[in-house]
Amino acid sequence: MKFGLFYEISIPRPWTPEKERTVYNNCLEQVKLADTLGFEHVWAVEHHFLEEYSHCSAPELFLTACAVLTTNIKVGHGIVVCVPEFNHPIKIAEKTATLDILSGGRLHVGTGRSATWTELGGFRANPDTTKKSWDEFVRCLPKMWMQETFAYQGEFWSMPERTILPKPYQKPHPPMWVAVTSPGTEIDAADRGLGSLGLSFAGFDEQEKKIKEYRRRIRHCEPVGAFVNEQVATTNFLFCHEDEKTGVEMGKKLGNTFNYLATQLISTREVFSSPSYQSLGLLPALRRAATGPDASEQQTEGMAYGDPARIIRAIRKWESLGVDCVNFILNANEVVPQDQVMASLRLFAKEVMPHFAQKPQTAAAAAAE
Amino acid sequence: MPLYGTFDITQSPARLPTLPNLDTEAWALPKAEMMQLLMEVPRSSTEGLLPKAMHPALPSYVALAVTRYADSPVGPFNLAMLRLGSRAGAHPRGFLLGAVASTDAAALELRARWGIPVQAGEVKFLRRHDRVTGSVRLEGQTILDCALVDPQPVAGSDVQYINWVTAANAPLDGTTQPMLIQIDPKYTFHKAERGKPQVNAFDAAAWNAPTIELSDPIVGTCCTVDTDLPRIRFVMDPLKPVFQGTRRIRESRADE
Repeated sequence: MKFGLFYEISIPRPWTPEKERTVYNNCLEQVKLADTLGFEHVWAVEHHFLEEYSHCSAPELFLTACAVLTTNIKVGHGIVVCVPEFNHPIKIAEKTATLDILSGGRLHVGTGRSATWTELGGFRANPDTTKKSWDEFVRCLPKMWMQETFAYQGEFWSMPERTILPKPYQKPHPPMWVAVTSPGTEIDAADRGLGSLGLSFAGFDEQEKKIKEYRRRIRHCEPVGAFVNEQVATTNFLFCHEDEKTGVEMGKKLGNTFNYLATQLISTREVFSSPSYQSLGLLPALRRAATGPDASEQQTEGMAYGDPARIIRAIRKWESLGVDCVNFILNANEVVPQDQVMASLRLFAKEVMPHFAQKPQTAAAAAAE
Repeated sequence: MPLYGTFDITQSPARLPTLPNLDTEAWALPKAEMMQLLMEVPRSSTEGLLPKAMHPALPSYVALAVTRYADSPVGPFNLAMLRLGSRAGAHPRGFLLGAVASTDAAALELRARWGIPVQAGEVKFLRRHDRVTGSVRLEGQTILDCALVDPQPVAGSDVQYINWVTAANAPLDGTTQPMLIQIDPKYTFHKAERGKPQVNAFDAAAWNAPTIELSDPIVGTCCTVDTDLPRIRFVMDPLKPVFQGTRRIRESRADE
């Protein structure tokens, strides 16, 4: 079991230049600590226009800062939007290769297509075609990274023969993932040999079904890249405290705040009737969980908050379902004070990580002392 | 936390429909033809239209809906509505800003049973192969002339209809008072089409939304559905956040 951090970079109103900078700096401070504690990944989303929920519209810049400030932790696009109105594929290939070089080969590339009308409409993208353009992009990216020269004529973009530079530091290329929120995307991931970057907070039963199907299908996949990246990651909230009650209370506050902000987003399906967006993605589960920012009801099972013993039990369950990596959201709208986020990370590394450790976590526990 | 509306409905109760009780029976509305056009609107143009208890949808949008109800307890009628995209707590809702029904009986009953801010007028719904059109006239003036252009078949499962919220006076705990009422029709789809929204005339003031300006079209749908107007289940305090001020007055719809 590996552990990562997952950043939406949520910033509460009123927005001031100092507040935006403080939150970004808090995130970087957390990543620096996580690097010394033995966390495996730091992921950053690409979102646009999502007020308070996510101010992470230039993840490649945030991840570059992460890479420069750390030595071991892998940096991941979670995800880069593979829709031509958002990102040109040449630019994606170039920027990711550059980030891979700057990080010394620590880049993971998550891909996806955006789920909200706020974003798709903002870029005047056609929701009907985002799955198609995503497919085209993920087929092209490995070739753009690996081939000396590349030319392409497709439905969504084309280019004459050129040498795309630089090439990634990792050979043959960085591991590739896809964001899995809508039902069925785990199959898309498996069929293309991509890692499954779970972004939903579904309960154990639903996740178990998805993971089983992913593992079954990926055995027979035709990978889009030079290798199969068979990994299942899931997302969780983290707040670890010596006192279980304190940990659960703060963890719920974090989860409720995140969920409530997420339910304010305008899913594509809410306003744009399209066969490409039949599912509401993660929103139904969040709406069930988020009766309000101060909701007291039990949240989705398996949340990683409370005392170390409780968190160990939750992660053991995820591990038993076949999850390879749990990525943690540490804050939302800054409801958890920064010193408590840092203390939570240290306690998690000291008391929880060794229970799931191979070699690296021994060092992690030492670093947490 | 998310933004809230600024409209205090308790300051102008006389403008709101008044219900004699919250116990209306449900209406079955079979084979209704519903045209719904979604349009983005500038956020500034929605200022003061959404109750304090609710969150605005971002970006701001409205639904212009023109429906032909082929059958109802008051006979066939057409109904046009303007709804403002919003959130009741975590849930997407369309806040009813204004409505026009094509018969006096329908207008009277919709106001009194569900608190829909509806008046009687001329409402036309026309389905053609190249477009579906809707038009509304009040006191001789056209207040809406719109169309769904180039309808193309889609699956009913592609279409999502959002529940409504209306502001009305109704008796609760022995006092008739302003409140928000949730109206949550069900839909069984027989046919669904999607096309481009086109609005040729829109008199915002006539829809109780004088500041609204239509800007970017999103999408239009026209569906044939079996639907209903159900019994009222939830009412909300108009001044408290919905997640704190919601009250369930009935366990379930009569058909659940």
